[in-house]
Amino acid sequence: MQSWRRKSLWLALSASWLLVLLRVFPLLRLAVPGGPWASAPQGWPRWLDAELLQSFSPPGELPEDALQLPHAPRGGSCNWEACFDVSKCGAGGLKVFVHPVAGPLSAAHRRILASIESSRYHSASPDEACLLLFLSLEVPAGECSPLPQQWNGGRNHLVLGLHPAPCPQNFQLGQAMVAKASPTVDTFRPGFDVALPLLPEAHPLRGGAPGQLRQHSPHPGVPLLALAEERGGWRTAGTDPSVCPWDGRCEQDRGPEKTHPEGALPNATFCLIPGHHPDALHFLQALQAGCIPVLLSPRWELPFSEVIDWTKAAIVADKRLPLQVLAALQEMPPTRVLALRQQTQFLWDAYFSSVEKVVHTTLEIIQDRIFGASAHPSLLWNSPPGALLALPIFSTSPSDFPFYYLQLGSHPVGRFSALIWVGAPGQPPLKLIQAVAGSQHCAQILVLWSSEKPPPPRWPETAVPLTVMDGQRKVSDRFVPHRAISTDAILSLDAHSSLTTSEVDFAFLVWQSFPERMVGFLTWNHFWDEAQGSWGYTAERANEFSMVLTSAAFYHRYYHTLFTHTLPKALRTLADEAPTCVDILMNFLVAAVTKLPPIKVPYGKQHLEARPPLVPGGREPPPAARDCINQMAAGFGYMPLVSSRLRLDPVLFKDPVSVLRKKYRSLEKP
Amino acid sequence: MCASVKYNIRGPALIPRMKTKHRIYYVSLFSIVLLGLIATGMFQFWPHSIESSSDWSVEKRSVRDVPVVRLPADSPVPERGDLSCRMHTCFDVYRCGFNPKNKIKVYIYSLKKYVDELGVPVSNTISREYNELLTAISDSDYYTDDISRACLFVPSIDVLNQNTLRIKETAQALAQLSRWDRGTNHVLFNMLPGGPPDYNTALDVPRDRALLAGGGFSTWTYRQGYDVSIPVYSPLSAEVDLPEKGPGPRRYFLLSSQMAIHPEYREDLEALQARHGESVLVLDKCSNLSEGVRSVRTRCHKHQVFDYPQVLQEATFCVVLRGARLGQAVLSDVLHAGCVPVVIADSYVLPFSEVLDWKRASVVVPEEKMSEVYSILQSIPQRQIEEMQRQARWFWEAYFQSIKAIALATLQIINDRIYPYAALSYEEWNDPPTVKWGSVSNPLFLPLIPPQSQGFTAIVLTYDRVESLFRVITEVSKVPSLSKLLVVWNNQNKNPPEESLWPKIRVPLKVVRTAENKLSNRFFPYDEIETEAVLAIDDDIIMLTSDELQFGYEVWREFPDRLVGYPGRLHLWDHEMNKWKYESEWTNEVSMVLTGAAFYHKVTPRKKFKCPECTAIDGLSLDQTHMVERSECINKFASVFGTMPLKVVEHRADPVLYKDDFPEKLKSFPNIGSL
Repeated sequence: MQSWRRKSLWLALSASWLLVLLRVFPLLRLAVPGGPWASAPQGWPRWLDAELLQSFSPPGELPEDALQLPHAPRGGSCNWEACFDVSKCGAGGLKVFVHPVAGPLSAAHRRILASIESSRYHSASPDEACLLLFLSLEVPAGECSPLPQQWNGGRNHLVLGLHPAPCPQNFQLGQAMVAKASPTVDTFRPGFDVALPLLPEAHPLRGGAPGQLRQHSPHPGVPLLALAEERGGWRTAGTDPSVCPWDGRCEQDRGPEKTHPEGALPNATFCLIPGHHPDALHFLQALQAGCIPVLLSPRWELPFSEVIDWTKAAIVADKRLPLQVLAALQEMPPTRVLALRQQTQFLWDAYFSSVEKVVHTTLEIIQDRIFGASAHPSLLWNSPPGALLALPIFSTSPSDFPFYYLQLGSHPVGRFSALIWVGAPGQPPLKLIQAVAGSQHCAQILVLWSSEKPPPPRWPETAVPLTVMDGQRKVSDRFVPHRAISTDAILSLDAHSSLTTSEVDFAFLVWQSFPERMVGFLTWNHFWDEAQGSWGYTAERANEFSMVLTSAAFYHRYYHTLFTHTLPKALRTLADEAPTCVDILMNFLVAAVTKLPPIKVPYGKQHLEARPPLVPGGREPPPAARDCINQMAAGFGYMPLVSSRLRLDPVLFKDPVSVLRKKYRSLEKP
Repeated sequence: MCASVKYNIRGPALIPRMKTKHRIYYVSLFSIVLLGLIATGMFQFWPHSIESSSDWSVEKRSVRDVPVVRLPADSPVPERGDLSCRMHTCFDVYRCGFNPKNKIKVYIYSLKKYVDELGVPVSNTISREYNELLTAISDSDYYTDDISRACLFVPSIDVLNQNTLRIKETAQALAQLSRWDRGTNHVLFNMLPGGPPDYNTALDVPRDRALLAGGGFSTWTYRQGYDVSIPVYSPLSAEVDLPEKGPGPRRYFLLSSQMAIHPEYREDLEALQARHGESVLVLDKCSNLSEGVRSVRTRCHKHQVFDYPQVLQEATFCVVLRGARLGQAVLSDVLHAGCVPVVIADSYVLPFSEVLDWKRASVVVPEEKMSEVYSILQSIPQRQIEEMQRQARWFWEAYFQSIKAIALATLQIINDRIYPYAALSYEEWNDPPTVKWGSVSNPLFLPLIPPQSQGFTAIVLTYDRVESLFRVITEVSKVPSLSKLLVVWNNQNKNPPEESLWPKIRVPLKVVRTAENKLSNRFFPYDEIETEAVLAIDDDIIMLTSDELQFGYEVWREFPDRLVGYPGRLHLWDHEMNKWKYESEWTNEVSMVLTGAAFYHKVTPRKKFKCPECTAIDGLSLDQTHMVERSECINKFASVFGTMPLKVVEHRADPVLYKDDFPEKLKSFPNIGSL
C-alpha cells in the first residue's frame, strides 16, 4: 500500500513535471535561434514540383507574336522620335535660328537673345537651322505673342520661356518642344521638353555671382536647417529632433530660429523647400548658397533633370514622413554632407549662375539628343568642370579629358609633344630643339612655322620625329587643335624660349600630377588697380602669381579644342591683335575651367639674364596689353584668375646635401 | 533540457527499492504516459506556429495542392489604372514607417488557385519564373511574413505573361486580396504585356493604383518615377553558358538574330547586308531543319546554320528590333554575349532606365533611321565601342542574368524612392566592379581655395614631456593663422599640469584627456576642432619656424585634399623580399609624410594619403629597427586596402621666391629651410 502510494506519487510528480517541460519547450524553441526549429521555413514555400513548372514564355511562343505592323504613337502627345526631325540637322549637328520677336523686349529677353547669339550653335538663317527657337514673351495683359510665319506646326521648334506659365493657354503648340521654368510634373514630357530653372528678374547675362561656399565642410556654428518661407526669404531652425519646422502642428516647440529677409541667401547645412510651385526660386538660392536643398515631394520637374543627376546635390524626400527625413538629415555621415555641398556649388557654377549658362545648357541638351551615341557621357555632365566645358567633339571617352583621371583610375599618356611656334623673326630654334629632344619623355617635336620667311629646308637630326607645319601667321594659331599632336601633354614653346632638358623633365613630371592645370616657368600676376578702377598685371617677380607664360608651359591638349571652339570670336581676334593677350586669354580659359591657379616650377637664372625678351614688353606691360586683361574680364563676365603663393621644386632642391644625390642637379646651377 | 535529464536520472534512483516485476511494469507505464504526454503536448503546441507562419506545414507540397478560391462572377473588378499616379499621390509611405535600416518590408500573399464560378481556372497557377521571383524576394532582406508590418505587397497571382491569363477574372482575383485597398502599395510583375491585335505596351489587367514592374513599356504607358521598367527575361541565357569574351573588334560588325521581324524591317536589314557585305549578318529561323533539332538554339542565313546564342559573340553590334511588343528577350541574350545592343524600338523605355545609364551600353536608333544605322555605328570611336561591350556584359551580369537579379533590382529601385537619402548612387548602379575598384573618389572634389581667415587648429599629442610640450606650444602660437590649440593628453596615470603653469598664448588652448594611450588618438575627430585645417604636431617638433608652419598652411589651402607635411618618406618595392619597404634617407622621391607635423582636412578619410608636398626639413633621426617596423606597417596597410594607395612624387612645395636671388625682406616667407 505504501509502495503503491509512493508509486502514484512518483507518477504524478513526473507527469506534472513533463507537462511543465512541454509548456516550457515552445518558449525554449523561440529563445534559441538558429536551431533546427528556428530555421523552420517561413515565407515562400519550396514546392516539391518546382522543377516541373512551366516557363512563363514557352519556347516557340515568342517568335509568333510579331507579325503585326507596329502601331503609331497614340494621342496628340509628342516624344523626341515622333516629333523632331533629326535629319534636318546635318553632320555639323545643331544650328539654331531665333524667330524675330515683335514688340518691345524686356531686359531679360534681351539677355536671352544675346546668349543665343553668343552660342556656337547660332545661325542667322532659318534655312540652315534645324532648331527654330521661339521666345515666348511674358505679356502682362495675358496676350500671347503671335505665332511666327514659318511655324510649320511647331515641328523642330523650341518654345523658350524663362517663366513658368508664359501664356495662358499655350497657343497651338503642335509638335513644338517647350523649355520653361519649373514645369509641373504632370505636363512635362521627359526626353522632349526641357525643364529650366526659375531665374530671378535680374539674373546676370554672363559670369554671374560665384557660389557662396567658402569652405568644403559646414562651419560648426551653422544651423542644420533653413526653411523656405511662403513669402520668400528663409527661416533657420535649431537642430532639436522633436521640432518639425515645416509642420504647423508642432509650432509651439520650435527651436531657436531666425527669420531672414527676402533675397538673403540661407546660411544652413540643409534647406527645406516645400513642393509647391513658387518655391523653385528658393531652390536656386539654396544651390548658390551651398545649402543642400531638401525638396519635399516637389510637384515640378527639377531643372535639366534629363542630364543632371540631382541625387548627388539634393535630397528629394516625401513630405509625409517629416520625422524620418529629419532623422536622416541629422544622421547623415559628414562625408556625404561634404559631397552634396560641393555638388551644389559645382552645379550652380556650371549651369545656373548666368542666363548665358542656362541657355547654353538648354541647347547642349538638345545637341546631345541629336548626337545620340556621341553625346556627353553622364560623368561629363555631373562632375567638374561640367558639360559646357567638356566638349564631346573632343572625345566621348572621359579618360581622354584632363579632368577625370582620378575618378577613372587612369593616367595621362606618359609622354609629351613639344609645339614650337616660330613667329616673325623666323629663326629656327636649334638650341631649343636639342634641349627638348633630349628629354626622355618627349614623343615628338612640332614646329609651327608662322613667319613670312620660308622655313629652312634642313632641320637638325633629333632622336624624336620632327614635323614642320605651316601656320596661318596668326598668334592664336598655336592653340588650334592640330591633328599632328599625338600625346595628351603639350609643351608650348616660342622660338626664343630657352630651357634645359632637366627643367623640361621635371616640369613634365609635375604636370603628370596635375594634368588639368598649366605648368609653367615664367609667371605674371594680376591685381586690382584701385587708382584706375581696373585690372592690371605685372611681370615683376613677386611672392604671388596667377598666370604662366605660354611661351614655355605644359598643358593638356584638350585646351586647344576648348580655345578654338568655346571662346567668343571677339576675344580670339583681340588676342591676334595684341600678342601678349594670347597668354592672358589662355590663362583665363584654364583658370575658368579649373578654378585653380597655374603651377610654377623652377627656372634657371641663366635664362633670365641671357634672354630678357622672354618677358615681353619689359617689366611693365604696354597700355594696350593692360587694356587686354580688362577686355578679357569683361568678355568672361568675371575675373577667373586665381593666385598662388608656391612653387613646386624637386624634393632636394637647394638642400644642403651632396649635389650628387640630387636628380635634377642642373636646376641649381648658378 | 538539462534540468529534465537530471530529474530522469533521479527517478530510477527510487526504483531499485521495488520488486523487479513492478519495476518493469512501472517503467513501461511511465514510458507510455511520457509518450502520451509528449504527443498531446505536441498537438497543443503546433497550432501556435501555424498561426505565425501559415505555410509552415505546406513546405514541400505540390503546387497542385494549393487551396482553391472560387470567384463569383459579380465580384468587384479594380479600376483600370491611373496614368497620373506618382509616388506621392498613389503610394502610401506611412506603411513603410520609420525604418532604421532604410529597407522596405515586402509581404508575399500565399499561393491560391483561382477558378471562376464554373470551376474553370483563371490562369496557370504559377510559372517557373514567377516561382523563382517570389523565392528570391522571400530569401532577401526585404521579406517579411508579417502582413501588418509590410510596406509593399506582392500578389502570388502570376501575371508575367498576359497571354496565359483571363484578364477580367485575374483582376477580380487581385481585388479580393486581403490588403488590396485599390492596389495601394502592391506591385505586379509582368514581362509580356498586351495581346493581339493591338499589343498594348502595359499589362491590360485592371490594377487601379498598383505599381507595375513591366517589361515592354513605351513612354506613353510608363509612369515615370512610379512604374519600374524591367527586362524580358530570357530563359535561354540561364541555360547556355557564354564565357566572357574580351572587348575588341569581332567578325561581324552588325548582326540581326531575331526570327520574327516585320517584313518591312527585314527588307531594310537585308538591304544593309547587300550594301555592306560580309560585315553585316542577318539571320532568320531555319526552315529546312529536321524535326529533332531545337529551332530555338539555331539561326540560319541562306543555307548556313549558326548556333544561337553563341553567334552573338561573333558580332560587335546586335540589332534589338521591336516586334509587336517593344520589350524583347533577345536584349538579354545580346548583353550576355557582350554584344552592343542597337535598340530600334521608338518610345521603348529600356529596362531599369530610371537608374541604368543605357548610353554607356547601347545605341538607340530611331526606326526612321534604320537605313542609316551602319554609318551611325561606324562614327562611334573604337574605344567607346569597347567600353560599351564591357558595360553591356556587366549589365547582364548585374541586372539581367537571373530572375533573382531582376527581382532584387526592382525592389532596390522602389526602396531608393522611399528612402532617397539612402539611395544607391549612379556610380553604384552603373560602374562595373573594375572601375569601382580602380577609381579614387576625391572627397574634396570641388576646386576651392579656403579663405586664409579660417585659420587652422593645431593638435599636439603628448604623454609627459611637459617642458618640450610647452616649447612647442609657444612656438606654434606664433603662427599668424593659428586659431586654436588642442593638447591631447595621452597619459592616464598623470594629470596635466595646472592651468596657471601653461604658457599664455593669444589663441584658445584646450586640453583633452584620453581614455587609452594610443598614438592614433591624434586623428580622432574632436568636437573642439572648428576649422577645416588641422595641424598634427608632435610634442618634440621644435625646429619648425613660424614661417615654415604658416607656409605649410598656405600649401594646404591650395591642396586641401592632400596631406601636407614636412619630413618626406618613401616606400619602395623590395624585389628580394617581395614586399614593400620603408626608406628614409635623403631621396629624390616622396610618397608619404610623417604626421609628426602635417596639415590635413578634418573630414578627409585618412586613407587618401596621396601626394604630400614637403618643405625641406628632416626632423627625426630614425634607427634601423624603427625603419623595419614601419616597413611591416606599410605591407599590412597595403594588404588591407587591397592595393598600394600611395603615389610617388618628385616635387615639393616651396614659396615662389624660395632661395631665389632676391632681397630676403621682400619675401613672404624668408625664414624657411635654414637648418
